[in-house]
Amino acid sequence: MSTLREIIHENVREGELYEKLDRNWVRCFACGHCCKIPDGQPGVCKVRYNQGGTLFVPWGYVGGVQCDPVEKKPFFHAHPGALAYSFGMLGCDLHCAYCQNWVTSQALRDPAAAVGPMRVTPAELVLDAIRQGGRVIVSTYNEPLITSEWAVVVFKEARAAGLVTGFVSNGNGTPQVLEYLRPWVDLYKVDLKSFDDRHYRQLGGRLQPILDTIRRLHEMGFWLEIVTLVIPGFNDSDDELTRLAWFLAGVSPDIPWHVTAFHKDYKMTDPENTSPETLIRAAEIGKKAGLRYVYAGNLPGQVGDLENTRCSNCKTLLIERFGYLIRGYHLTANGCCPSCGSSIPGKWASAFQGQVTAHPFVPRTRSRSDLLVLNS
Amino acid sequence: MAYIIAEPCIGTKDSACVDVCPVDCIHPAKGRNYDDGRPTYDEVPLLYIDPTECIDCGACVPVCPVTAIFAQEDLPEKWHAYIEINKNYVDSGKFQPDKYQKPGS
Repeated sequence: MSTLREIIHENVREGELYEKLDRNWVRCFACGHCCKIPDGQPGVCKVRYNQGGTLFVPWGYVGGVQCDPVEKKPFFHAHPGALAYSFGMLGCDLHCAYCQNWVTSQALRDPAAAVGPMRVTPAELVLDAIRQGGRVIVSTYNEPLITSEWAVVVFKEARAAGLVTGFVSNGNGTPQVLEYLRPWVDLYKVDLKSFDDRHYRQLGGRLQPILDTIRRLHEMGFWLEIVTLVIPGFNDSDDELTRLAWFLAGVSPDIPWHVTAFHKDYKMTDPENTSPETLIRAAEIGKKAGLRYVYAGNLPGQVGDLENTRCSNCKTLLIERFGYLIRGYHLTANGCCPSCGSSIPGKWASAFQGQVTAHPFVPRTRSRSDLLVLNS
Repeated sequence: MAYIIAEPCIGTKDSACVDVCPVDCIHPAKGRNYDDGRPTYDEVPLLYIDPTECIDCGACVPVCPVTAIFAQEDLPEKWHAYIEINKNYVDSGKFQPDKYQKPGS
C-alpha cells in the first residue's frame, strides 16, 4: 500500500499562486505564511511542494465529502435551510491543538491522523452535490486556502450548474489568493480564533495576516461571516473578546459574528467545555461593540434568543433557529424585514425552500463507494 | 514549545533556516544590522531562534545541512543548555545583552 505522502504526490499539478525565485526556490502566495521554499521541500502546509523550481499543489482528490446544513458551516445570512455540499482535501497551514478536523488537517504531520483520499473530477463532485440536493458547495474540513487552485476549478463547474460557492477558512490569506478566489467564491467564513498574536503563534500563525484578510474580504464584496470558538482560559477574557468585537464592528457592524462552544478535542483536553453563560457573555460583548448580528452556537436551546435573527432596526423576529434547524422564516422575497422594511445584509434566496430533513440532516443515505477510494 | 538551534550550528551558520522561516524569527540574518546593539551575523558563533516569535512550523528543520535544529521535545539531552541560549539571545524580538553569552564562555 502506498504511503499517504506518496498518494498526495501522485495527485498534484503545477500551482498558480506562486512565483519562481533564483536557485530554483519559489515563493508561494496561497496563505499568509508566504513560504519561501527551496527545491525538494514542502511549504509549512506540507501539501504544496517545490520540485525542480516548480510548485506542485493538491489536485484531483477529496479527503472527505459530506452534505451539511449551511447553518453548520456556519452561515446564518446565506440561503437559510440550504444543504451545503462540503468537501475538503488534506493539510493545514496551522496546527491548532483543539482542531475538530485534525484527521484531515493534520494528516501529513500526525501519524495518528490517517484518512484515505478519494480521486474525483470536478464534474463528478458537482454531479454528486446536485444529486444529494446541495444548493451550496463549500471547501472546508482542511484549510481551503492551501488548496485554492482545486477549489476554483470545482467552483467553476459548480457555478455553471447554478450552485452557490463558499470557503470555510482560518482567514490566513494574502492579497494574491483573494484576487484569485474573488470571481469564484460567494461566501467566506473566517475562523477568528483569538485577538492575541501570542495565542496565534501557539496555533502556528500570526494575527496580522488574518485581520488584513478580514478587512479585504469585506472590501472585496465576499459575503463574510466570522466565527470565534470561545475556549475557557484561552480566549474568553472580557478584554480579548472586546478588542476582537471592536475590530469586527470597525470593519462593518453588519458582519455576523458567531461565538461557539468549545468541546475537548485532539490535543487540547484541559480547558472545560464552554458554558452557556460564557457564550452569552461573549455575545453581549459583541452587541455592546456595535455588532448587529451576534449568534451563540453549538449549544442548541441553551442560549435564549441568541440563535435567532432579529431585525437590527425594529427587533422583529426574522429567522427562528434551534441548532441548525430553521423553525421560522419571515424575511420578504427581497431579504427585508416584513415589519419595517429594513434590508437585512446577507445572500437570501427569494423564498425559504424548506430544509430537506430536520434531523439528522442527511437527505439520503449513500455509501462513499460512488467515489474511488485511492488506497484501498 | 519552540524550535531550538543546537551545537552543530557553531561554525556553520548556513542561514538556509533564516531564508525559509515564514515569521523571521531566526537571527542574526546575514548582512543585516540591528539597531538594538546586538551582534551581527559575523560576530555570533551560531544562529538563534526567538522562542516567543517561533510558530512551531518546522520549516527550518529539513533545510539545515548539519541537523542543528530540533523541536524542543526532540532535542538531545546533551544540548538542553541551548534552550536557554536561544531564549537569552532575543526574547520577543528584543536583544538581551545582559543574558547573551557565547556557548562555552
